Amino acid sequence: MGAKPMKVVTGVVGNDIHVVANRLIDLSLQARGYEVFNLGVNTHLAEFFDAAVETGAEVLMISSLNGEAEGWGREVKLLKAKYKGLDELIMMIGGNLVVGSGNTEDIIARYKKYGFDLVCHQTDLNTGLDLLEEFIQKRSAS
Amino acid sequence: MVIEAKGHCLIDVGSTYIKVSTANSIEQHFRDFNADILDDLLSKCGATVSQFEKHNVYICSSANGGLSTLIIGVSNTFSLKYATNIAFNSGINIIDTILYQNIDEYSLPSERIDVVIIVGGINSHSALFSDSLFNYLADLEYSNIVFAGSEQDAPLLKNHIDDLVVLPNIVDDRLHIVEQHLKDYLVNLYQQDIEGKEDIKNLYQITSNQIYSTPYIVNRALPFIGSKFAVANPFILLDIGGATTDIHYSKDLVEDNMVTENEYDRLVFKRLGVYRSRQSLILAAHANEFVYELLSYLKVTENIFNEHSDKATRILMQLAIFLVLYKISRYGESYVKLKLLAINSIVFTGGITKMLSSDEIEAITLFFYRKILNSDHRPVTILDTDYDIWTLGARGDDSCQ
Repeated sequence: MGAKPMKVVTGVVGNDIHVVANRLIDLSLQARGYEVFNLGVNTHLAEFFDAAVETGAEVLMISSLNGEAEGWGREVKLLKAKYKGLDELIMMIGGNLVVGSGNTEDIIARYKKYGFDLVCHQTDLNTGLDLLEEFIQKRSAS
Repeated sequence: MVIEAKGHCLIDVGSTYIKVSTANSIEQHFRDFNADILDDLLSKCGATVSQFEKHNVYICSSANGGLSTLIIGVSNTFSLKYATNIAFNSGINIIDTILYQNIDEYSLPSERIDVVIIVGGINSHSALFSDSLFNYLADLEYSNIVFAGSEQDAPLLKNHIDDLVVLPNIVDDRLHIVEQHLKDYLVNLYQQDIEGKEDIKNLYQITSNQIYSTPYIVNRALPFIGSKFAVANPFILLDIGGATTDIHYSKDLVEDNMVTENEYDRLVFKRLGVYRSRQSLILAAHANEFVYELLSYLKVTENIFNEHSDKATRILMQLAIFLVLYKISRYGESYVKLKLLAINSIVFTGGITKMLSSDEIEAITLFFYRKILNSDHRPVTILDTDYDIWTLGARGDDSCQ
């Protein structure tokens, strides 16, 4: 990944305290060479964007396990639009993204509409991180 | 000839009262605003003060109003919030903030700013600031300017801003707050400000010790408050003064992204006071939808606002308690929200302890908890009637520990 590691802001959105998965994401990102800014659990959406501004992060990776993401996700586009200079920020979300069950393709389409570039609903962590790398490579090639 | 009394003489010069504390007595006097502070003090407490050598006299003051501060930061949750927190904890009362990305939309303050603080970015980030900052500063009147943001941006800012003081970043590489350098800078600046003000400067005729700001003294006493009062944590301390109302609160009461070494933080409502800020307190009261119900609960009408009696002052103090609790609740607009249902004690200090009884204070807290929070929660009310907290802080670290 070159001399300068890519920066990722990550954390768990809303009133969700799945701390173990959050730690695993942090460790996995570090193992792949990213510089990680882990905001921890119970994080408000604005805090994610603010952290991206302060750190100059290229990726914002939100995780959610208990369905909180559904409510918060709706505000992503509106909130991100208030920030100047975050247009290139890669927006990724993963975990269990709905309450109950649902069709994965529908869920992914819905979250993309919310403003996420990458959506991993009930996807294995390493598979999700592979998707991120592919996305980064494609973007830098284009 | 000075016959030296035992111990220390501690003096607090407030916006409304002068308090003098010795081992044997505590005096409190209403200030004469037409007289020089030193003359006023000596005319009222000269006999007491003259018993002490200069090295045994300790003075703190909030009478000069403190420094006016403008903070420019790149995000609300990190740099702006951290710098605001540091400024409050350094004893600064007047704080305005600018979110840098929108700096072009802010109008210039009409008065000269004592200190401009620029913050933002971790050290591995750069190019956060550009011409829009320099253009804004070119039109701004200020006395001091300090940068405590990304170290990579410091040279650029130094090149463009005259007399810029550069301090270590207040945001570390884990996005945690680093307080000490900016706090020391602001506390020292406050001392210099005091020394530059004729009224306060004269007080150095009776002391050879540094004059500190009163809220700074109160804040540093809080970890030791248990030595004087039966305070159950978590607690808040309210200092309702003539010009401002200060709140010092246990960090346990906030869900916050700030991880600091402080156990207690400070928050100021700069236009909530019962003497010099009386009119703005009344305006704030008029703007609150529950105040008429509160006045009725206190068995008075809004005509009380036009009176200048002791009773009117007591009602204003009760209103101030209510408004402050409201502002720090989830319904208020302050930048931190406290978990009010978790509070076990509310400590009151300042002039309010001389005016209101425990019963009068408890009536207001009860009204607030029932009406606003729909709860029968009842934190214990503690009155610092003898200024023990201020005495504890003023005596310095040695006696605190």
